[in-house]
Amino acid sequence: MNLNLKSDKAHTFDAIVVGSGMTGGMAAKELTERGLQVLMIERGREVKHIEDYDTAMKGPWEFEHRGRVSIHSAEEYWANNRFGTLANEETGPFFTDDKKNPYIEKRPFDWIRAYHTGGKSMHWGRQSYRMNKKDFEANAKEGIAIDWPIRYEDLEPWYTHVEKFVGISGQAEGWEVLPDGHYLPAMPMSAPERYFRETMMKKLNRPVTIGRVANLTKPQPWHTDLGRASCQYRSKCARGCPYGGYYSSLSGSIPAARKTNKLTVLHDTIASEIIYDEKTQKAKGVRVINQHTMGVEEFFAKIVFLNAGSMNSAALLLNSTSSRFPTGLGNDSDQVGRNIMDHHLGVGANATVEGFENDYIFGQRPNALYIPRFRNWGSDKKDFLRGYGYQGGASKSDWKRGITMNGFGASFKEDMSRPGTWTMGFGGFGEILPDPSNRMFLDKDKKDKWGIPMIVFDAAFGENELAMRKDMMASAVEMLEVAGFKNVAGFNRQDTHPGLGIHDMGTARMGKDPKTSVLNKFNQVHTCKNVFVTDGAAMVSSSCVNPSITYMAMTARAADHAVKELKKQNL
Amino acid sequence: MNRRTAIIHVVTMLGGALSAPTLLAMKRWDGHTPSEGFSVEFNLTESQKMIVEEVAEMIIPKTATPGAKDVGVPAFIVMMLQDCYKAPEHQSFAEGLGSLEKKQFLNLSAEQKMAVLKQAEMDSVEEMKAYQAQQTKMGDNEDREQMTAQAKGLPFWRLMKELTMLGYFTSEQGIMSSFEYVPIPGKLEMIKMKPNQKSFAY
Repeated sequence: MNLNLKSDKAHTFDAIVVGSGMTGGMAAKELTERGLQVLMIERGREVKHIEDYDTAMKGPWEFEHRGRVSIHSAEEYWANNRFGTLANEETGPFFTDDKKNPYIEKRPFDWIRAYHTGGKSMHWGRQSYRMNKKDFEANAKEGIAIDWPIRYEDLEPWYTHVEKFVGISGQAEGWEVLPDGHYLPAMPMSAPERYFRETMMKKLNRPVTIGRVANLTKPQPWHTDLGRASCQYRSKCARGCPYGGYYSSLSGSIPAARKTNKLTVLHDTIASEIIYDEKTQKAKGVRVINQHTMGVEEFFAKIVFLNAGSMNSAALLLNSTSSRFPTGLGNDSDQVGRNIMDHHLGVGANATVEGFENDYIFGQRPNALYIPRFRNWGSDKKDFLRGYGYQGGASKSDWKRGITMNGFGASFKEDMSRPGTWTMGFGGFGEILPDPSNRMFLDKDKKDKWGIPMIVFDAAFGENELAMRKDMMASAVEMLEVAGFKNVAGFNRQDTHPGLGIHDMGTARMGKDPKTSVLNKFNQVHTCKNVFVTDGAAMVSSSCVNPSITYMAMTARAADHAVKELKKQNL
Repeated sequence: MNRRTAIIHVVTMLGGALSAPTLLAMKRWDGHTPSEGFSVEFNLTESQKMIVEEVAEMIIPKTATPGAKDVGVPAFIVMMLQDCYKAPEHQSFAEGLGSLEKKQFLNLSAEQKMAVLKQAEMDSVEEMKAYQAQQTKMGDNEDREQMTAQAKGLPFWRLMKELTMLGYFTSEQGIMSSFEYVPIPGKLEMIKMKPNQKSFAY
């Protein structure tokens, strides 16, 4: 490819960030704020904050299928549809058409994607928990996979840094299992939830707290400076919030990066390869393909941050072959694409709550209760490793209760206009152990419409996860029964696969030894130090807590390190 | 603050512009054609449509507030069956209608109609057992009704009742006349119920 000097200059930046989601946004913010000119490459369409939230203010009647997914959408969004109603008219525009972006399943993998500005930060669950000290030590202690090259203390200041910027509402509790962060005022619990919290502590010694959620309960000056306002308690976050009430790259990190005037964003641009320079033994840039014109271009930078989402970041490494790296950039260890983890879910229990008839809630809380891990913690010991947390809570039933109850006619109609009894339920999020045979790789023959090899998934839950799921259901049932609730019913979805937690991670793990890991303790590719991978791919174990805040903390830490190294001319 | 004012408020406050679809008037189902590239063989005869109307109106009758027919529920039901359900439900729905046609449902007295629907309700309780329906929680905030797959479509009564209620309680008139509609609560409060407290709808 011949590029003249002028365009060469226009194609040269200090840093390239691949991806605009949760970690891409944070990388761009941290790098631009440290003075770097950053090019952000997003493979999907541009979504403009507020302006493009087309469904945000619509009433229920303005959606043709009223929140249901049409057969047509279900076929186009076949992977999304395994989760639930993601592809309905409210949120479908912010998920990715699986038919147009197919992948291959050697074993089933539920891959939920969001190809547009902001990526999955548009509609994440916003639950934000720090991993605890033992999470970082468990692999080494139990002889599972490899040790983390960092400890809680390494991330601690960066958790604080990103928590303040993001704005997380929550309650500090002082529990070792769920380290406290910096929180905006907590959202209230309902009356039956307060009763449940007290009862669990009294009878089972199990802590229950209000969810730690990235919605602004009390915006701080640095939030309002970016145009963000207080949460309005509509709980329609996944449609995009015109108030900036919840954190996304669109409402937070990208506006912050733009303020520096050092951010350039390319949309509809697929990063196909990292360009490796055999002479300098560094990456010199990224090759891209325009989604629509298929035009190929190259962009150059001193450092490259991969934030394409764990599976796509790994795919990009695997597709970046050179004579130095015949099996993919940084893949001497053969660990790129392996050790896929996620959180397994779809297990828990529901119940009806008697009493509290006069209690009700005004507003929709975009948040739930959180029950931190209690299994294999302290003196508890089970026949599986690690543990799980629950999310859920109480709500007063609405008209939908009428669908399954008997009755119809005038008095039934009248009854449905009033709140019914309280119901309470929980679903678990379980830790998945790293296993090198759970992997993704590139198909040698099949290519997508852009000529990039298609991703093949080959992963499944192991014995540990299956044993944990049984306990997850049993414990949820136990807690609801101990609370004295009625009609307790456990559930354990059998049709779930890795990926459905939408916390897919682990495909370019960090480690101390380049022989067994891809990244060093600062998320640099061991053998190509100016390439950083700071999305979920870097994870060495999965903990059971929602991972985004950890990814963001890692990203900020890596960006800080990158700029320091650049200044020392080490990169 | 009504919804329209609220939207304008948001737009003004943030200096942005919401796109046109937000301000579009509510859609009607009559004359609906299934989305492009997707065709289904599901159509009802005029008499079957009249039965759907009658049954929907019996589930949610016009009282001091609008009934199912007033808010376009019958056409909504047909549209939903075309767009969101496959052959097994088309068949079970048609079978259910067929059995009502055989009973000359439209010619029955009010009491007889009521008795026929009560029987359909009782039968569907039995039929639904095979589905082992369960409420499950997915992820951080999605509740999902999980069912064991069955070759046979969902019972006619279940489809009729679910779609009538969905169509009615998510329609603009249905919401405004049944609930306290609060599109932008602005705050979250644990409160005590007022006498005759209606549900909030958001």
